[in-house]
Order: sequence, then C-alpha cells, then structure tokens
Amino acid sequence: MQNNRNYIVFLCLLLLLSSCVSRKAFSTKYYHENEKTLTGIEQSFKTLYAQKPFSLGFSDLSFNYISIEIITDSIKYIYEFQINESRFQDTLYKYNLPADGITNLVNQMRSIHCLWINNLDFYTNNQKRSLVFMSIHPLAIHIPFAPEKYYILTFYSQPQYFDSEGRLLERRRLKKLRKINDEVFRRINDKVCYTISERFR
Amino acid sequence: MRTGNKNIIRLFYTLLSCCICLGYINASANSNPSSDTTALSTKEQALAFLDKQTDLTASNFWPNVHPVFFLQNLRKNIENPLSIYEGRSTNFCGYAALSYLPLHDDPLGYLRFMLEIYKNGKAVYGKEYFEPSREIKQAAGTLSFKGELDIRPADQLWFMLLADHFKGYLNFFDKHYNPGDENKTWAAVNFAKFNRMVRNLFNYKVESIGSDLVRPGLRDPVEYLSSRLQTGNIALFVNNLDLYKKNHTQLKFSVPTHFVILLNITEIDDDTVAITYWDYGGKTLQRVSVSFLKKIIFGISHITQKTDHAK
Repeated sequence: MQNNRNYIVFLCLLLLLSSCVSRKAFSTKYYHENEKTLTGIEQSFKTLYAQKPFSLGFSDLSFNYISIEIITDSIKYIYEFQINESRFQDTLYKYNLPADGITNLVNQMRSIHCLWINNLDFYTNNQKRSLVFMSIHPLAIHIPFAPEKYYILTFYSQPQYFDSEGRLLERRRLKKLRKINDEVFRRINDKVCYTISERFR
Repeated sequence: MRTGNKNIIRLFYTLLSCCICLGYINASANSNPSSDTTALSTKEQALAFLDKQTDLTASNFWPNVHPVFFLQNLRKNIENPLSIYEGRSTNFCGYAALSYLPLHDDPLGYLRFMLEIYKNGKAVYGKEYFEPSREIKQAAGTLSFKGELDIRPADQLWFMLLADHFKGYLNFFDKHYNPGDENKTWAAVNFAKFNRMVRNLFNYKVESIGSDLVRPGLRDPVEYLSSRLQTGNIALFVNNLDLYKKNHTQLKFSVPTHFVILLNITEIDDDTVAITYWDYGGKTLQRVSVSFLKKIIFGISHITQKTDHAK
C-alpha cells in the first residue's frame, strides 16, 4: 500500500517536472550543446547534396533502419535498408552517390539521434532558395501513449527576419509568420530556427 | 363504321409514326459520340490554343493571379503534366491526383476552362458550374511557403476552386475558406468525393473498391492492380503516414490521407513489389512488401474512358 502511494507520488512529480521543462530552453540549449556536430552534419549534407540530390533518415527509433530517397531528374527512388546491410552500399554505388560521405553522414546523424535530413525549396520574390531541414528525436522523458515530439531545426543560407517574440517572419516588412509544415518556427540565431512538431518530416 | 375504321387506322399510323420518330431521336442521341464519351484532345491542340492567348489581361476576378505567370503555369502543366504540384503540407493531394487525367487525356478542355474562369470568374466544367467565393478569388496566388506551388498561381487557383466547390462529409465543419485552410479539413477529400469529382468533371467511368475506413480486403492486390492498369488509370487512396513514415507513434489510428496515381507495379519476388506512382509533382519508385501494400491501400479507383459503344 505504502509502495503504491510512493509510486503514485513519484509519477505525479514526474509529470509535474515534465510539464515545467521549457521546450524553448531545451531546444536552444540542445542546439548550443551540439552546435559543432549539428553544423557539421548540415555542411556535410549540403556538400553531398550538391553532388547528387537525396534525403536521408531513419525509419525506426532504434536507428537501425536507414531510409534514403534518391532524386533524379525523372524519378525519385525510395529505399530502406538495415544499417549494416551490404545492399545499402551497393545502391549508393549503383546511383553514383558519394558512398563514403553518406556513410559518415549516417554515423554522425545516428550519434545525435538525428532522424531525418533533407533540402527544402522555398521562394522569396519569385527567387528559388533552399534550406536544410533536420529533425531530432529528443531523449527527454516520454509520456506513454502521447504522440512523439520531434525537434526540428532549419538552416538557412541567408539571415532571416523575426518578430519581437523571435518568431520567423516571411519578410522584414510583412508581419506574416512563415510556417513550414504548418508549424511556427523560432529563432536560435540569424540563420537557424527551431520548432517542436509531431511530424519529423 | 368505315369512317370509324379510318379514324382508328389514322390514329394507329399517327401513333406508329410518333413511336418511330421518338425511337429515331433516341437512337440519334445514343449514336451521338458526344453524349456519353470522355472528351479527348492532344497536347499539340492545347499548345496551339495557348499560343493564341496573346491578349490576356489582368483579371478583375483574380486580383493576385498575374496573367503572365498564369499562362506560364498553364504552359508548364501542358508541356509537363507530371509537374503539377499540390504544395507542401496542404490537403490538395486529391485535386492534384485528379488533375493527372485532363492533363494527359484532354489538356485542351482543361485550358479552355481555366481561361474561361480567369476571364469571367465563372465557368462550366463537365457537369459542374463553378462560381467561386470572394475569399477564394482573393486568396488564389497568395499561398506561400508551399514549395513550387508558391510560383504556380494557376495551380493555386485550380486547387482552391475545386476545394471551394466540391464538398464531402469531411468538409462539414469547415465549408468556408479562411487563410490557412488549405492545410485543414476545408480542403480535405474523402474517397467518394474524389470519385464524384472525376465522374462529374471529366466524364470517366469510375469503378472503385475500398472506403475511407475499411480496406478493400483483396487477396492478391498485385494481380488486381496489374490487370486494371492495362485498361485504364488507377488512383490509390493510401495512408500517407505509413507510406512516408512521418511519425513513429506506436498507437496510431490508421486512416487514409493521401491520393496517388499508380503508374506501374512489378513483382520483385514472392513478397516484394516495386510500385511506381505519381504524387508531389513527380514519379516515385518504391520497393514495398505485399503486406505493407495491403496495409496502406484503403481505396482503389479504376478510371477508364467512356466511349459511345461502352456505356
């Protein structure tokens, strides 16, 4: 009986603590703690993407299955492999993808629980621009049966505009919020923003 | 008596003539190819028609759709029909999927309608009369951060027009457009609504199996899809979260949310198939297991052209 009561008190405290943790603080803190690795992944992806467009991620939360989308002019190929499966390397060679670079990228992503990375196009004044979209599975406390939450980071090539609350804007003079996948993004620095989403891509 | 007989005979011949006439009219109607035949045209006809549109001026009805960009967008759609793009995170996938049909089979009909609605703010397409709401006319051309849809004002107009006009039960609580509704239930398409749109707009014969909640329960989906691909187009109503693995939640209510056009299906081995489908402005080839295929497909629409001899 005493054990049960302790257990309930412990659970309540856990829930209280989890509700008190600021997601904003977590996200910016997470970024600053892992800045070197995150920017390393972003730079590697940009370099590899320039050679041949692709998107890369993990299709499971134990980070054992790789999902890769290989983009060509006429068709997109979607494959899924186990992390040590030889077919993964074979496929990279088959499509002339930089195999060593992508393997290193997979390892880097796995080390910080980065679930997905891709390149998103967007348009400003009819000019095509792109950003790197990265989603991370946080190792924070997870409430059972609640939907998963992912930390999404977006890396721009140019400084962006934000309002006084740090929310990403479409343009400097236009007070319209810029939403990606229907999510409002917030400032980490001039070129990097974050949000918390139920969708990792 | 003789006069009476004559009158009866006259009446008999009159009735007979009427029957023959009615029969002839009916037969004429049935033999008219335009009565129940899917309209067809070629890319060349459509481009020739588009080349003549040199005097298109800004529309009073669509203030945010510039005529030059509008025509550029239409030309892209005709020259490369696979490039039509529903936009990132919108609910326009059903409208984009059905656009595959006129852009391949009747691009001229599509163009005529688009120019008519642009110039006059109202137009008829198939069995449907479109007179879009003021909110739609203001919003078309202003959608942003949807990827390439941002710079395709004609596609914005087309998708919003369809979402504004066709309503299903999913749209019951959100029938009027407000900014941002393109991502919400205002634009949602259920399976029956999709099939109705294809029938009413383009006059195709649509045979469908499956539903919004219950899968079709096919024993051999590969054989079913392969055989139907030989005779027409196939639209699949699939669970997008599974197809693209958009979350990792263990407990999820499996429902279909996405329309794709199936282009090819090939057996790799006993349990694996390669499916090629169109969505998001391009073709995708994906290897999946047969069990996964059964799991994601909720609706299959087999869409064939009608001819006057095959009603």
